[in-house]
Amino acid sequence: MRIEKCYFCSAPVYPGHGMMFVRNDCKVFRFCRSKCHKNFKKKRNPRKTRWTKAFRKSAGKELTVDNSLEFEKRRNIPVKYNRELWSKTMEAMKKVEIIKNKRQARFIMNRLKKGKELDDAANISEVKKNIHLIRAPHAGQAKQLEDKMVQKLAEDVEMDE
Amino acid sequence: MALYNFKKIMVVPTAKDFIDLTLSKTQRKTPTVIHKHYQIHRIRHFYMRKVKFTQQNYHDRLSQILTDFPKLDDIHPFYADLMNVLYDKDHYKLALGQINIAKNLIDNVAKDYVRLMKYGDSLYRCKQLKRAALGRMCTILKRQKQSLEYLEQVRQHLSRLPTIDPNTRTLLLCGYPNVGKSSFINKVTRADVEVQPYAFTTKSLFVGHMDYRYLRWQVVDTPGILDHPLEERNTIEMQAITALAHLRAAVLYVMDVSEQCGHTLSQQLELFNNIRPLFANKPLIVMANKCDVRKISELSEENQKVFTDLTAEGIVVIETSSLTEEGVMQVKAEACDRLLAHRVDTKMKTKKVHDVLNRLHLAMPSKRDQKERPPFIPEGALLRRKAMETNAPKRKLERDVEVELGDDYTLDLQKYWDLMNPEEKQDKIPEIWEGHNIADYIDPQIMKRLEDLEQEEELREKAGEYDSDEESEDEEMKEIRQLASQIREKRKLKILASKEKDTQGSRMPRTAKKVSLSVQQSYSCIRLNDSNHYARRSRSLVRKRKREVSAPPTSRTRSQSASRPPRDQSGVRDAKMLKKVKTMMKNSQKDMNRQGRKGESDRHVFDVKPKHLLAGKRKSGSTSRR
Repeated sequence: MRIEKCYFCSAPVYPGHGMMFVRNDCKVFRFCRSKCHKNFKKKRNPRKTRWTKAFRKSAGKELTVDNSLEFEKRRNIPVKYNRELWSKTMEAMKKVEIIKNKRQARFIMNRLKKGKELDDAANISEVKKNIHLIRAPHAGQAKQLEDKMVQKLAEDVEMDE
Repeated sequence: MALYNFKKIMVVPTAKDFIDLTLSKTQRKTPTVIHKHYQIHRIRHFYMRKVKFTQQNYHDRLSQILTDFPKLDDIHPFYADLMNVLYDKDHYKLALGQINIAKNLIDNVAKDYVRLMKYGDSLYRCKQLKRAALGRMCTILKRQKQSLEYLEQVRQHLSRLPTIDPNTRTLLLCGYPNVGKSSFINKVTRADVEVQPYAFTTKSLFVGHMDYRYLRWQVVDTPGILDHPLEERNTIEMQAITALAHLRAAVLYVMDVSEQCGHTLSQQLELFNNIRPLFANKPLIVMANKCDVRKISELSEENQKVFTDLTAEGIVVIETSSLTEEGVMQVKAEACDRLLAHRVDTKMKTKKVHDVLNRLHLAMPSKRDQKERPPFIPEGALLRRKAMETNAPKRKLERDVEVELGDDYTLDLQKYWDLMNPEEKQDKIPEIWEGHNIADYIDPQIMKRLEDLEQEEELREKAGEYDSDEESEDEEMKEIRQLASQIREKRKLKILASKEKDTQGSRMPRTAKKVSLSVQQSYSCIRLNDSNHYARRSRSLVRKRKREVSAPPTSRTRSQSASRPPRDQSGVRDAKMLKKVKTMMKNSQKDMNRQGRKGESDRHVFDVKPKHLLAGKRKSGSTSRR
């Protein structure tokens, strides 16, 4: 039993789900649901359909080259069962999964940082231009003047002394 | 050689069925509609066709019967004789002859009536002629009822005859009834002949097949023969005699030593001597059967003498018992060997042999040195042969385990696996974890790689890659962000509020032109305080305007109209907004374009009730839904 990948959107296809299409040149296409199947029949390119993983990877929106991704690779030669090897592999899998998720999240965060910078710049300019909408322009000025006068008086008194 | 055609003979219908069949076929396969007013040649052709069709059918079917049934002269004399015994040659030939005559008669009838019909001058007359023709043909056939019945019975019996190949290696069993011939054949072959204590249990010939020395052998079981002259023999015995006479086989004459068959040894010897001439040119073996009851050595002196006499003449006598299987193999081997030798001898005597012999050359290589080169037999084969001979218990099969456990049995193929640690054989192997296939991760170096990865991860963490950005933001930025969001909210509210206000009042569309009234019109107009007002001209005036000499537009100059921004750019502030506006436009037009409509208001349906959806029958299914 294997969990396959959908040809169109790269989602996991569990056993008992989805559809398989075999072409005359013996190439097998698996689909996770009819949405992917119908898009395939309409001859859409998954690398150009924005919601698929293929698009996201090819457009650099997600982590593509990384050591943690090299662990999961389809091997064509089966290995004989060996209890310790299997148990070690399971532990390793769990650890690798954690690291992989961290790295993927970090990648996406870095990508979105630029947007954050633009956001900040826009906020600053917005505040500079339109602060008058929420605060009166001379709101604190009377108080400021008073403070200045008090300070000046204090200085004068000092100088006098 | 017409061996297998006996099964392929077509069914011979009874006379009544035959007539019904042919007449209904004529009715179905020829045109049925004819009217008085048709042209006469058409009417004639119509009825002639019917007559000829019927004649053709009869002719075909009867010819087929004649060709299907074997000609007694053409088949092997064994079968010819057998058929004579069973069905009487004369009766058979007569029946077929009658059929032939009937066929010719039918042909003649048809020919005559077709000739007559050429002169038929009305529909009624042609029709009567056709009726007469068909009637006569059917009567001819009705007279053949007996022959057809007989032939059908012959056919059924013929198809059930055992297929005996007269030319291949055969062993023939003969003797008195109840001596043990059928038991012998049951032992030696896979045949299942009935064995019963009464005489004449076997009433016809039976064939069994066996293998010896990689060759196929036929064993033919015959009904018992009693001792009377040839003329007084009945059909059942005659079958045995026929087989004896025509098959070139090794003869196994079975004698009952214990005399349980009801006939003494001397009687059996008598019979043997009587049918001795039939054994000429055939290898002969005498089987002293039922030796488990009484052996030859237990017999009386004179009976023993019988056997010693036989042996003295050069005939092989073997003691057998079908019950204990004593001597059965011996008989088999002896008979087969002698028959093979006999056949080779006969072949050597014919002329054809020399052609074959000239082409054969047996090469015996001469030894080049004294080294012994025995044939190589692998150890496993030797062991197996030993096991076969000693009948050692074989390894326990899965089937035996299944039978043992009965209901609790489950097929557990994992126990046959070849693993490095056999105690792991019963493990349940995990295949999937959290959407990943474990098989994709299996790698002997996985632990090493994992270590490297973890080291790398540590380095990255130390380098500060995973630090959160939240703390790097200072208080000021937070405050600015908050203010900005407040500002945006306030702006939105203001925009909404301004939208509520009706600042401009009701507006004229921009296509409306400024109109300067003529004096006449100004007097008729009520609102005189508006000297320059933009008014929509009435239709008739617009038309009138067109017919007169076109004057330059009085309200605007051309340069002014050009300076007005085009529609899709008015009100658009920047490129981003332009893009959005364009997208909105395209979106709203998508539906209309897809449906092929001219615009929003185009609601024309080209085909309100398409015929191909609403009319017609369904190919399969009901039309209750459309």
